[in-house]
Amino acid sequence: MKKKKGRFALKLGAAICLTLFASNSISHACTIKVGAVLPTSVDWGRPIAETAQFVVDQVNESGGVSGCNIEMILRDTQVDPKVGVDAAKALVDLDGVQLLLGAVSSGVSMPILTSVSVPSNVMQMSCCSSSTAFTKLAEEGKTEGLWYRTFATTGVQAAVGAKVAKDRGFKTVAILYKNDDWGQDLNRLIARDFTALGIKVTSAVAINDGQPSYKAEVTNALSGNPDALYLGLYPNEGTAAVREWLSLGGTQNMIMANSLKSEDFRENVGLQYLGSAFGTDTASPRVASADAFVELYKSHFGKEPSGPGLANSYDAAMIALLAMEAAGKGATGDQIAAQVSRVTDSGGTPITADATGFKAARAILAGGGNVMYQGATGNVRFDKNGDVSAPAVVWKFIDGGTKEIEYLSLTEVDEFIASLN
Amino acid sequence: MIQHLLDGILVGSILSLGAIGLTMVMHILRFANFSHAELLSIGAYVALVFDKMFKVTMPLMANEIGPLSMTWALILSIIVSMVFTAASAVLFDRLVFRRVREKGEELSMVFASFGLSLIVRNLIGLIFGLSTKLYSKDIVFATVLSRDPLLVVKLDQLATFTITLVLMLVIHIVLSRTTFGYSLRAVGENPELAQVNGINLQRTLIVVWIIGGGLAAVAGVFYGLNNQINPMIGRDLVLPVFAATIVGGIGSVYGALLGGIIVGLASNLALSILPSGYSPSVPFIIILAVLLIRPNGLFGEARA
Amino acid sequence: MIGILSYIVFFTTVASILAIAVLGLNLQWGNTGLFNGGVVAFFGAGAYGTLLLGGTPQPDHIAGFELFYPIALIGGMAVAGILAWLVGILTLKMRHDYLAISTFGVAVAFENLMRNAEWLGGGAKGLRGFERPFRESLGDGFLYNLIFLIVVLLCLLGTYRFLETLVSSPFGRQLRAIREDEKAARSLGKSPARIRLTAFVTGSVIMGLAGGLYGTFYAFVSPQDVLPTLTFQIWAMLIVGGAGNNKGAVLGAFLIWAAWTFSGWALSRFAPVEAQLYTGSIQYVLIGLVIVTMLLWRPQGLLPERLVVSQSGLS
Repeated sequence: MKKKKGRFALKLGAAICLTLFASNSISHACTIKVGAVLPTSVDWGRPIAETAQFVVDQVNESGGVSGCNIEMILRDTQVDPKVGVDAAKALVDLDGVQLLLGAVSSGVSMPILTSVSVPSNVMQMSCCSSSTAFTKLAEEGKTEGLWYRTFATTGVQAAVGAKVAKDRGFKTVAILYKNDDWGQDLNRLIARDFTALGIKVTSAVAINDGQPSYKAEVTNALSGNPDALYLGLYPNEGTAAVREWLSLGGTQNMIMANSLKSEDFRENVGLQYLGSAFGTDTASPRVASADAFVELYKSHFGKEPSGPGLANSYDAAMIALLAMEAAGKGATGDQIAAQVSRVTDSGGTPITADATGFKAARAILAGGGNVMYQGATGNVRFDKNGDVSAPAVVWKFIDGGTKEIEYLSLTEVDEFIASLN
Repeated sequence: MIQHLLDGILVGSILSLGAIGLTMVMHILRFANFSHAELLSIGAYVALVFDKMFKVTMPLMANEIGPLSMTWALILSIIVSMVFTAASAVLFDRLVFRRVREKGEELSMVFASFGLSLIVRNLIGLIFGLSTKLYSKDIVFATVLSRDPLLVVKLDQLATFTITLVLMLVIHIVLSRTTFGYSLRAVGENPELAQVNGINLQRTLIVVWIIGGGLAAVAGVFYGLNNQINPMIGRDLVLPVFAATIVGGIGSVYGALLGGIIVGLASNLALSILPSGYSPSVPFIIILAVLLIRPNGLFGEARA
Repeated sequence: MIGILSYIVFFTTVASILAIAVLGLNLQWGNTGLFNGGVVAFFGAGAYGTLLLGGTPQPDHIAGFELFYPIALIGGMAVAGILAWLVGILTLKMRHDYLAISTFGVAVAFENLMRNAEWLGGGAKGLRGFERPFRESLGDGFLYNLIFLIVVLLCLLGTYRFLETLVSSPFGRQLRAIREDEKAARSLGKSPARIRLTAFVTGSVIMGLAGGLYGTFYAFVSPQDVLPTLTFQIWAMLIVGGAGNNKGAVLGAFLIWAAWTFSGWALSRFAPVEAQLYTGSIQYVLIGLVIVTMLLWRPQGLLPERLVVSQSGLS
């Protein structure tokens, strides 16, 4: 009796194992796994993960990478460094990924980079980690060329924000900034830029996450009676702060960082109050690619890509997979990282950021040529530290989306930044 | 200065409402309930659902009450939400706290409440999504009470404060003048002796949860009205509400009211002293300061 | 195979570091009955202290003395101890749920300080520039992680032995005496306040050790590492493992950390594709359920306190 039970158990166990094994490799002959460590349990983290998966789906639709299906394994970082690092380690050691997409917070990306990616020779591409510490790390040679981020350095945002203030003749500005590494950086840089342009910063107030009321902070910002308000906030606290600001009679002249390019923000504040609100963002030159991204996103998700980091997430995933295609089958992390310059070559053949573009790129790369990726955030070009700088746009909210008001090419941006120093 | 005072009182009144419920629960059930703030969250979301429903089915109710941004639909929703939240509170007690009470000691209940709060918060996030919601998109402009010194106030906040006072008065009358109130206080001081005198402990506990849950619902809705609604309301409010409870002294309704106002005031005044990055620490500095001077809170008594 | 081994080494290192912190909490709560709601402050003090003392000088914050690693680690522990001493003299006489909230407040204040005082701890972008000891000679790979694990395990073992000796020593008896019946203890001439303070500081120093090792392992620390979540995780580990029992503390650490990481892994692997975006929230629900179920089933923990009888009966 026991023997029978034992054999049955063995057969059952074998059946389960085979099913698990088989379920991973159904449709395509081969599968390449990539890892994504993103904060899916936070409101702004979920769409970022969704966008990355969208890219993977399109690449698979176009035939995959090196003829193989891409499987993106998504792990939640819970915005907790030790959880994120463990997830990354599991992805690298247990799933054998050579590419990590993530994380979002610099506090999580950094330990992943130093404890997992660099020691295991895995490429790490982040959509959204903004800390200047990464640049320093790369300058010290510690990233070994494995680190890239599609997040334009905060210096550009700050400079363009300051330019908007100057162009509109504001003499005094108050700043509300998110109290994390991105916001603190942004505050420091834009305050410096405002001062360089002769604009007085009446107050710069840190906004902490999840506070029951921002009345005190907003009242403080109001006290100097500024001509305009600069917002370096995410949609959640941005909505709360701006509603409070407006209800207390604050001016409608606002300058927003690209994090507020969000439908939720526009809906919850109301278009009627956003007539004098100008936002900054990175962009592509007047080529169809940025609009194409918006259209593609809308057709898939049924709404505009609104919210921090979405366009960056898209480009991060797409560029990483293009590099993987260029590196060929069985490439290791460092080999993939080395190919990034081939797919973001300003002299290469321009390709669009969708399935068709990927197919075209495949052919070009196979023939030994280079491509220039035209993405949701523009013609992405990485410097030697894995940072991007890009042209900039000034935008406004309109019914159903946003509209570009002004465009600054990369040269103009660089010139302006130089003029501030 | 007066503006700060005003702001503190008005913002603090929401905390007071939450604290009144928590202080009763903590006094009678004798444990620090970390999931109390999730009741505020439940209250806010249930009211949101019913508010939308009422607005659609009874368009007349969608009219705002005078200069407030509150609609009649919302008032009705608050009442429904109070019932629902009170029921949730009783349910949580039956499912979790009662059993832990029988087997474990106080710390187990604290931890069970913490585990429960994780479950409730994330279930809300799964059901309603993580993005921010509002009862009404309209921005209500603050009314200027006086020009010099400049005093502005949002009428919604005044309404909140008034209702808080009324509710507090009702609770006070119940506790000090009704038989039921006496039995509640008796259970708070000595459960065994109270039972000897014929007080039904189980029923009393259920009523405590009902009151706590009901008040939490109102607090949650007012919070959503004056700020915004998202699944993290519980996480964000748990500490200020605790601060209010402890500062006021566990078991004292007046204490809860005063505690909420003090915490609200302190958070407002904090900005004049500390850079805004330190605002989250302020409720604790208050707690520490109060407890060093009066180890049982302002109106609390040493526990038997 | 090497992959699984590498991950196990990594996992065990983190679990062991957390176990050291749980042992420290066990001394405070399990043995002395002190409800420390601010575990992360002392853990963080150890991490920041070690990294500031042992790190390279950086332009935006103080310290960076590049001290010899063991000295930096001891320095981190000392910072935790000093913080504990200051907090202890202010708060230990409070009744225990107030103590919890006060210590919790200290932890919040600590995180705020590290987030805002850039000159002190680098601000929100954290402390970098710390070189892991012996990295140049041993490299960065599996061998280094293995040796680091051995060092951490030795620290864990050392802490465990130290605490076991303490618990069965006269001092341990004093702790239990004041936990059970303070008046009686005082009548025998013991000074509860001083004993409590000693236990509190010792436990916090142990947490500082865990923090220092944590910072060293990631070679980086930021305000994200010192959020209240860590306090709850350490407490959950102690509750599940068994308060008052050092073996239980270590067991709880491994179990809860395993549950935490395993739930994430399992959800990413087995949940249907449509649900993948929600696994984060689902994981929290599961963790909450684990804690609640554990408390409903076995509130004293898996390995409850063993009552130490120092002397046999009267006859």
